[in-house]
Amino acid sequence: MTTAPTTRVGRTRRRRTAGGALAPWAFLSPAAILFVLFLIIPIGYALYLSFTQLKVAGGAFGKKQQVFVGFDNYVASLTDPEFVASLGRLGMFAIIAVPLTLGLALVFALLLDIPRVRATRFSRTAIFLPYAVPGVIATLMWGFMYLPSTSPFTAAFTSLGLPAPDFLAAPEIFGSLANIAIWSGIGFNMVVMYTALRSIPAELYEAARIDGANEWTIAWRIKIPLLSPALILTFLFSVIATLQAYGEPQTLRSLSNSISYSFFPLMKVYRDAFALDNIPGAAATSVVLALGTLLISVFLLRGLQRRTFDS
Amino acid sequence: MKIISRAASVAVVAAVGISLAGCSPDSGSSGPVQLEYWGWAPNIADVIDVWNEDNPDIQVKLVQAAGADDIVAKTLAAKRAGEGPDLVQAEYQKIPNLVTSDVALDITEDVASFKDEFTDATWALTSLGDAVYAVPQDTGPMVFMYRADLFEQYGLQVPTTWDEYAATAAQVRQVAPNAYLGGYPDDASTFVAYGQPLGVDWWSIDGEAWGVDVDSPESTRVADYWQGLVNGGLADTTHFFTPEWNTKMNDGSLLSFTAGVWAPGAVASVAPDTAGLWKIAPMPSWDGETAAGLMGGSSVMVTTMSEHPKEATKFLEWLNGSQEGSSALASIAGLFPASIAGQESLSSLPLPELVSGQSDFWTVAADIAADTAPVTWGPNTQVAFDTYTDGIKAATANGTSFADVLTKTQQAVVDDLKKSGYDIAE
Repeated sequence: MTTAPTTRVGRTRRRRTAGGALAPWAFLSPAAILFVLFLIIPIGYALYLSFTQLKVAGGAFGKKQQVFVGFDNYVASLTDPEFVASLGRLGMFAIIAVPLTLGLALVFALLLDIPRVRATRFSRTAIFLPYAVPGVIATLMWGFMYLPSTSPFTAAFTSLGLPAPDFLAAPEIFGSLANIAIWSGIGFNMVVMYTALRSIPAELYEAARIDGANEWTIAWRIKIPLLSPALILTFLFSVIATLQAYGEPQTLRSLSNSISYSFFPLMKVYRDAFALDNIPGAAATSVVLALGTLLISVFLLRGLQRRTFDS
Repeated sequence: MKIISRAASVAVVAAVGISLAGCSPDSGSSGPVQLEYWGWAPNIADVIDVWNEDNPDIQVKLVQAAGADDIVAKTLAAKRAGEGPDLVQAEYQKIPNLVTSDVALDITEDVASFKDEFTDATWALTSLGDAVYAVPQDTGPMVFMYRADLFEQYGLQVPTTWDEYAATAAQVRQVAPNAYLGGYPDDASTFVAYGQPLGVDWWSIDGEAWGVDVDSPESTRVADYWQGLVNGGLADTTHFFTPEWNTKMNDGSLLSFTAGVWAPGAVASVAPDTAGLWKIAPMPSWDGETAAGLMGGSSVMVTTMSEHPKEATKFLEWLNGSQEGSSALASIAGLFPASIAGQESLSSLPLPELVSGQSDFWTVAADIAADTAPVTWGPNTQVAFDTYTDGIKAATANGTSFADVLTKTQQAVVDDLKKSGYDIAE
C-alpha cells in the first residue's frame, strides 16, 4: 500500500528534474555562445594560422599561397633576438610599474580606512577617476605633458634654471611609460583593497587598541596580513595586464625617438601581423605570450595558494 | 515543455530574421553603380564630388580608411575578410606587395584605351613585368622647399650641392641658435629619394629572382653624410608631421623641408599661417647630376574585391588621366599630376597657398619633374622601411653608426624574402 504513493511521487520528481535540468543550460547559453564565438573560435583560428605560412609559388611576382609549416613559426619567434629584447624592456617597465601601482594603491586604501578620516567619498572618486579615462586618451594627454614644447614640467624646470629631463628619451622613457600605467591603474587596485579592508571585523581593531597599538601598528600587523588574498589577486591582475602592455607605447611611438615598432612584445605581434604582413608568425608569437602568461599565473597561484585561499 | 517550445520559436524567428538581414540587395541594373574609394589625398572629397555631379550612374564614395602608412594593412585585412573597397590609393612602393597578396587587379586591358594619357616612364611605376596594376595619380619629384623670408632675414643662400647644404646648416645654427636648416632622413622613402640620383636602388629584378642592395657604397655615402650632420647637431631630429614638427614649421624653427613636390599642399594643412612665405628649388645635388629622386606619389588601383572593375577604371581614367580630373587634383588637392594633360595645364592653375609668393612655382616644378631617376620597389618594402626607421631612430638616440643600420636592413630584407619563398639573386 505504501509503495504506490512512493512510485507516484518518484515519477513526479523525475519529471520535474528532467524539465529543470535544461534551465541552467538555457541561462548559460548567451554567455557560452559569446564565449565560444569571440574567444574560443578566434583562439582556435590563431592556433591554426600559427602552423601555416604564406609562401610564393614561384617567380618574382607569384601570388602568395598558404602552406602548412609545422613549428617553424614558433622556432622563428622564440629565436628572434627582437622578441627577447622586447621581453627585457617589458621587464624593466614592469619592475617600475607593478610595485609602485600596488604600493600606492595599498597606501591610499589604508589611509582611507583610518577612522575619523575626512572627505572619504571625494577622495575615493578622485583616486578612481584616472582609471575611467580610456588608455589612448590618457597616453595622448601624458604625451603632450612630456613633449618639451608643450610640457608644464619642462616649463617649471627651465623657469627654475635647471636642465629639464627629456621624458621621451631612453632610459627616462621607461619611467614615463610606467607613470601612465601607474596613474591609470591605482584607482582600480585601491578599490579592490579598500573593499577587502572594509570586510575586516572591527573587533580586531578594538582589541588591538586596547593592547595599546596605534594606527601604524594596526595597519602593519593586522590589516596588511589580512589583506593578503586581495594583494595577491591585484598582483596577479597587474602582472597579466603588464604582460599585455600595448596602448601606451604604441600611442607614444609617434612622439618619441626611443620607441621602436617592436618595443614591447604585443607591439611586435601587431607589427608582424599588420605592417609586415606575417600573420602566421604573429599568431605564433601571441600563442607563446599567452602560454607564458598562463604559466606565470599558475605558478603564482600555486606558490601562494595557502595565503590566497586558506586565510 | 512550454519553456522549450517558446525558446525554440524565439530562436527560429531570430534565425530567420538574421538570415533575411544578411541578404544584400540585388546589384546591377537596379540603380547607379556604387564604388567605394579608400584614399587620403588632402581634399580629395571635393575632387570626387565633381565626378559624382556629372556622372549620376557611377557614384563614388570616399572613405578615409587610413593614412599612407596603415592603408596597406587595412586593405589586406579587407581582402582576407572577403569584402572591401573597389579602389585603393597606394604609394608606388606598396604596389608589388599588394600584387603578390592578390589585392591589385590586372587592368592592362581596361587601361589600353587611355594609355596615351601618361608617358611610358610613368606607366612603369605601376607596372610589374608587362601587366599594369594601377593608374598613376601623382608623382613626388624631390624639391627643396625653404622659407624665403627667413633666408633673406638671415642672409642665407639656397644650396645647390649637399656640401653647400652642410655649410648652410652650420651657418643657420650660428645666426639662429634655436632654428635648424632642416631635418634628416629618418624615414626610408626619404633616404632612398636622396640617394636615387646617385643610383641607389634597393631592389632589382634578375630574371625570376630578386636582388637586394640596401648597403651599396652609394647608400653608405648618403648615410655617412647625414650621420655627419646629425652628430654635429646641424639637423633637426623631429619626425615630419608629428605635433612637435608641426609646431616648428609654424614658428620658424625649421627653415626648409626637402620632400616630394606635394610638400606645399601637405604642409599647408599643418602650417596655414605661413602661406606665401615658402619657395621651392631643385634638391641639392651630390656631384652635379640633374636627375631628381622620387618620394611618395601615389597611384590608384582597382581591387580584386571589386564587382565593377570596368566602371572603376572609367572613373580612374577621368580622375587621374583627364585634363579636368588632373587639374582638380593639382588645384584642390595640391598634387603634382602624373598625367601629361595635367602637367601641361599646370601653368594656368592657381598657385598652392604655401608658395603663393613664387610666381614660377609650376615652371620650376615641371622642370624638376622632367628628369627623375628610376627606382624599383620589392614585395616587402614595409620590412625594409620599418627596420630602417627603428634602426635610424636608435642610432640617432645612441650616437651609433647609420651605415650599420643599412647593413641590418639588408639582412632583414633578404631574410624576409627567403622566408616568403622568393629566390635571391647573388
